[in-house]
Amino acid sequence: MYKKHLATKIKKISFSFLSIFNLFTIGSLKADEILRIGAIPDQNPEHLNRLYKILSSELSEQLNVQVRYKPVTNYAAAVTSFRTGNLDLVWFGALTGVQARLQSKGSKVIAQRDIDEKFHSVFIANKKSSIQKINNINDLKTLKNKRFTFGSESSTSGRLMPQYFLNKAGVQLKDFKAGRPGFSGSHDATLMLVQSGSYEAGVLSEEVWKRNLERGRMDPSKVFLIWKTPSYHNYHWLAQGNLDKKFKKGFTKELTNVFLRFNEKSKKQKQILELFSAKKFIISKNENYNKIEKVARKIGKVK
Amino acid sequence: MKLIKPVSTLLTLIPSIAYIPILIEIIKGFHIGGLNIIFLFISSAIKPSFNQELVKSAWEGLQITISTALTSWVISMLIGIILGVLSTDLFWKSIPKFSYLGKFIKYSLAIPRSIHEVVWGLLFIQILGLNIWVAIISIVIPYSALTARVISEQLDSFDIQPLIAIKQTGSNIMSSFITILLPKLIPIISTYGSYRFECAIRGVTLLGIFGLGGIGTELYLTLKSFEFNEMWTCLWMLWLVIILLEKFIRFLRSYFSEDISLKNSFLISISIFALSLSLGISWLYNLNFELFAPLRFSYLDLPSFVEIRNGFNTLPLLKLIITTIIITVFASGIAIGTPPLLLVLFPGKFPLKLQNLIWIFFRLIPPPLTTILILFFTNPTISVAALSLGITHMGVMGRLLTDSILNQEKSIYRAIKNNGSSKQSATLYGILAPQSNSYLAYGAYRSDVILKETAIIGAVGGVGLGWQLQESLSSFDWAQVMIITATFSLLTISGEFLFSTSQNYWLKNSTNNFSS
Repeated sequence: MYKKHLATKIKKISFSFLSIFNLFTIGSLKADEILRIGAIPDQNPEHLNRLYKILSSELSEQLNVQVRYKPVTNYAAAVTSFRTGNLDLVWFGALTGVQARLQSKGSKVIAQRDIDEKFHSVFIANKKSSIQKINNINDLKTLKNKRFTFGSESSTSGRLMPQYFLNKAGVQLKDFKAGRPGFSGSHDATLMLVQSGSYEAGVLSEEVWKRNLERGRMDPSKVFLIWKTPSYHNYHWLAQGNLDKKFKKGFTKELTNVFLRFNEKSKKQKQILELFSAKKFIISKNENYNKIEKVARKIGKVK
Repeated sequence: MKLIKPVSTLLTLIPSIAYIPILIEIIKGFHIGGLNIIFLFISSAIKPSFNQELVKSAWEGLQITISTALTSWVISMLIGIILGVLSTDLFWKSIPKFSYLGKFIKYSLAIPRSIHEVVWGLLFIQILGLNIWVAIISIVIPYSALTARVISEQLDSFDIQPLIAIKQTGSNIMSSFITILLPKLIPIISTYGSYRFECAIRGVTLLGIFGLGGIGTELYLTLKSFEFNEMWTCLWMLWLVIILLEKFIRFLRSYFSEDISLKNSFLISISIFALSLSLGISWLYNLNFELFAPLRFSYLDLPSFVEIRNGFNTLPLLKLIITTIIITVFASGIAIGTPPLLLVLFPGKFPLKLQNLIWIFFRLIPPPLTTILILFFTNPTISVAALSLGITHMGVMGRLLTDSILNQEKSIYRAIKNNGSSKQSATLYGILAPQSNSYLAYGAYRSDVILKETAIIGAVGGVGLGWQLQESLSSFDWAQVMIITATFSLLTISGEFLFSTSQNYWLKNSTNNFSS
């Protein structure tokens, strides 16, 4: 009687151990077959969720692998998740992309939108401030001693390139009022804070500026554009270097081609392009970001 | 008739002097350009969005926040209790040979608790990537150390004669230790524990603002894109859930206050912990978190000596420290001074109950959100940072004050009022006076918390150590991150020493003690 009892007990224990073990192996097997994609959190989450749901299903269909979107809510966390291998493919801004690439050997820029090749930032000012429209980069000097705000500290178009152009014109961060600029946290916040007058001037991505203009959230009686920066490379898809090994030979190439083939004939692809506010994706490469890397080093965002 | 000494009563009002410089600066920078946004924010409160997608994702965010808080709360309580007992002098009395170990544990715990949970979170993200354990670990580390401190201080304040007596009878030291300690430990755990749970919810919400998921993330993202109706949906839901939880905890605690045997209360505590832990973990698991997937560590290169030296040279440390201290002082002034001030200005039972409810709300709005809102009608200055930090903690202080007043004897108040004094002065002497010492003691502890929390403020104004930490983290400059974290830690450790000295002073003179 007692023996039987013991036997069932041992059976139970071994079953539970086996099932726990099983759970782990299932987890790791599954993990290897999933393409984990992510994006820096530069847009509202609802938009990103919608966008990446469609994109995941389209990629999954075209590449015949499982695709999972992992929402990332912090710029630095996106870079870190790429470094720790939690993400295979990430939609990065130029600066975060360079930071991520330098921290993960072998990773590769594969594609970008048509507008990312010639991206601009716009400097804006409140109408009540004494700031005038400028035509020459050197006139950025008029921003000295003004209350000025950037966007997020990791943003390429909201901080890195604008700071580079400001420095070029001889304006240092300590030259702003109170000895420091503000960091509003996002492009939308920059626009709202300059429009309200809390900051006399600020800088944001031209894309967001135009979008707010279309949606009527920008009040032309309160805020205006003072200067548009020269163009630079911005957003891009960065892929891990080990995807060919993880999935199959030639996978990275295939992945790139899927992006390049996106067009408006397919309903799903049309939706994706619209949500990305792009006409098409074009090929891109690491070298396109050499200048960004140089600027980032100079400003201290890359060591 | 000898009236109660008014000195400390007036002292509770003095911190509100901080309003003068802050209001001057805010009014000086006041402009109406952002008033329409503020109006939009306020009017959205009565028409939150009922978009199904949004409510669904806010609900999921709330679940993430609460289950994460629950899990990390249990773990931190368990670790905290063990470490707390281990760092009492009392415990090591039984093994005097190793009593230096107790001192060692006690003092080394000052380091983990000197760093804010959000800073731990930002650091752990770098090592573990985005993972639910980052949130849990970042809450557990400082909270266990805090719990340990409270428990060891409380235990050490008890009379140890019985223990010595039992020891002399020659009975087993460990078992006698347990028989004496346990009855004292359980009431501390029940009161302090429920307070800690609420802190955990606040902590996880804040972590969310910095990108670790849950309702905090929803809140931040809705604000970032200026969808106020959506933001209010999240805020109202958070508020409701917190009030319900509070009621539930009170209900649970009423069981404890009834006479139950030591053995039963011990069993109840154990089962509450066990239940909460299993509930927290299975809940998280159900929310699709890969709780049991192996953690992937990504080690960082330690900065070299030269890099650290360069970091020291490039960082304006002194200036950063001074700004941080200024923010702390003003924020503490607002947090401590406002509730008593309102109490005197608006006396009476109904205003008191109303204030009690309003304070819960203030306590829930995370400071980074307040900062952006305040910025819409004034220029960016240090005052904005101080005000937004002060507002949240004003909620905590106010809630505490109104709670204990609602439970307090009204006899003194009535006696004074029957003497013909005005409602205001009756409130001042009859209601505020009996509370003031313990209130100030708690205020000293709050200032300590505020100092730690400066770590998360200042981004928008670009001020203080907190902002610099964000900047260095986003540049992946480990030397600078190390220097700033160490500076912060040193600053809070000295702050803790200073505040606990003044806290002890107020407690010594206190008649009722609610801060434990």
